[in-house]
Amino acid sequence: MKINRIYALFLRYFFYFRHSLDRMSDAFYWPTMDLLLWGLTSVYFRQYLPKGSAVVLMIVSGIVFWLLVWRGQYEITVNLLEELWNRNLVNLFVSPLTLWEWAAAVLLVGLIKGIVSFVFASLVAFLLYKVNLFTYSFSFLPLVGLLIINGWWVGFLVAGVIFRYGTKFQTLAWTGVTILSPFSAIYYPLSILPLWAQKVAALIPTSYLFEAGREVISTGVLDWQKVLTSLILSFIYLILSLIWLKKSFDYILAKKGLVKVF
Amino acid sequence: MGFLGPNGAGKTTTIQMLLGVLTPTSGEIFYFGKEFQSSREKILENVNFSSTYTNLPWELTVKENLTYLSYLYQIKNRRQRIEKIVKIFRLEKLLNQQLQELSSGQLTRVNLAKALINFPKILLLDEPTASLDPEAASYIRHFLLKQRQQFKVSIIFTSHNMAEVEEVCDRVIFINHGKIIDDDTPQNLARKIETCHVELNVADGLKRTIEFCREQKINYKLEGRYIIVDLKEKEIPQFLQTLMEKGVSYDQIAIDKPTLEDYFLLTAKKTYENQ
Repeated sequence: MKINRIYALFLRYFFYFRHSLDRMSDAFYWPTMDLLLWGLTSVYFRQYLPKGSAVVLMIVSGIVFWLLVWRGQYEITVNLLEELWNRNLVNLFVSPLTLWEWAAAVLLVGLIKGIVSFVFASLVAFLLYKVNLFTYSFSFLPLVGLLIINGWWVGFLVAGVIFRYGTKFQTLAWTGVTILSPFSAIYYPLSILPLWAQKVAALIPTSYLFEAGREVISTGVLDWQKVLTSLILSFIYLILSLIWLKKSFDYILAKKGLVKVF
Repeated sequence: MGFLGPNGAGKTTTIQMLLGVLTPTSGEIFYFGKEFQSSREKILENVNFSSTYTNLPWELTVKENLTYLSYLYQIKNRRQRIEKIVKIFRLEKLLNQQLQELSSGQLTRVNLAKALINFPKILLLDEPTASLDPEAASYIRHFLLKQRQQFKVSIIFTSHNMAEVEEVCDRVIFINHGKIIDDDTPQNLARKIETCHVELNVADGLKRTIEFCREQKINYKLEGRYIIVDLKEKEIPQFLQTLMEKGVSYDQIAIDKPTLEDYFLLTAKKTYENQ
């Protein structure tokens, strides 16, 4: 891997971000709207709950944390789509750039934008609801890292599908990760899911993280067992998704060539 | 080197394989004595490409595109290189414009600037002058020839403009259905077409000329007082002498020697007939 080539792509996506209102709104507008809508809803429900209930904090932290997963996936898949829409994919891969360098670049972009979005959303949450997520910074740190990694493996999974089947599956670029959301227990405890859904959730690494996050808020203690289980599952999925991505890339090179991926 | 063939011949497929964006089903590709797949990164640092079927990012400005590409190809003295390439392709006034604001001719110039940003030793160009006006196309052709001579760049060039191929290429490979049909200089390929077109403006004796052509089974075409006769180059002197002996007089003569375009048309026609 060559750092200069990763940096080249980072620059390419950064330049694009500067010019794109779509990307600006994805980074700032939608998180603000989500926080307004769901935050105010939880403020309303708080009136009917016992005093001291942390419902606002739990909902708002759910929104902010889910943003990390979504952002991790989104940057991989939408940046791939950008190359297809621009018919620039061939220009990239006729250079010495490797697939792994491309992957590293979109991870880097996703990481930076994820952190920017996280900090921005946390500030908005603080300004709107006096919810300070940084109070739990040490306990939340491993959760934040693992949530981003979960976005990556979904991103690579979807990128593999787009490489293979082209833009007819482009809607997955925005929505792919949402398939995990009902099983991730973002806003509610796992126990309220039906039994079959709980079994599915046991295979989804994000479910452990959101459960652990709520426990931190209610007890102040981080359940490392949940973090470890999530870590193991996340890395297994990440490795599998990378294998799928590489296989899809090689498949398309062998079957019809990158020129015909659109 | 010109790479010619009718539509569907396999030109683009071959170029894609040469660039590593399509895996060959069999065979190996070697550049500079090294096998392509095992030395891909090293090789592609010295190869570049421009085509009408790819674009650079539309939302980025010319300068932003050249900047990120200069990092992608690990160019030393980036700033000087970009300045030089901008000057060569007359892009000074376009630097801060987004690609989506440029005309197709301006875009072609940017694509060529991209293709030369890494001082490639091998340059693959797929119809590089397709959207340029004649003046700009001529400028680009001369620039490519200069690059070839000055920096010893090998250029693989596809175009549907045969005059352009004759001007730029010293070797032409003609392919069809993925197979090499011919491989020679443009001049030698043109020479394979033996028939020349001799065009005479007959002042006196048009009837006698037609009769003579019929007797000798020579193909001809009439356009007013003009007669266009298909002859092998070596037959022309004898043909003209016979007309003189028959008292035919003409006040204009033009001899069109076969060109690469004639060769292309004939070979393409033959291959279609054999299908």
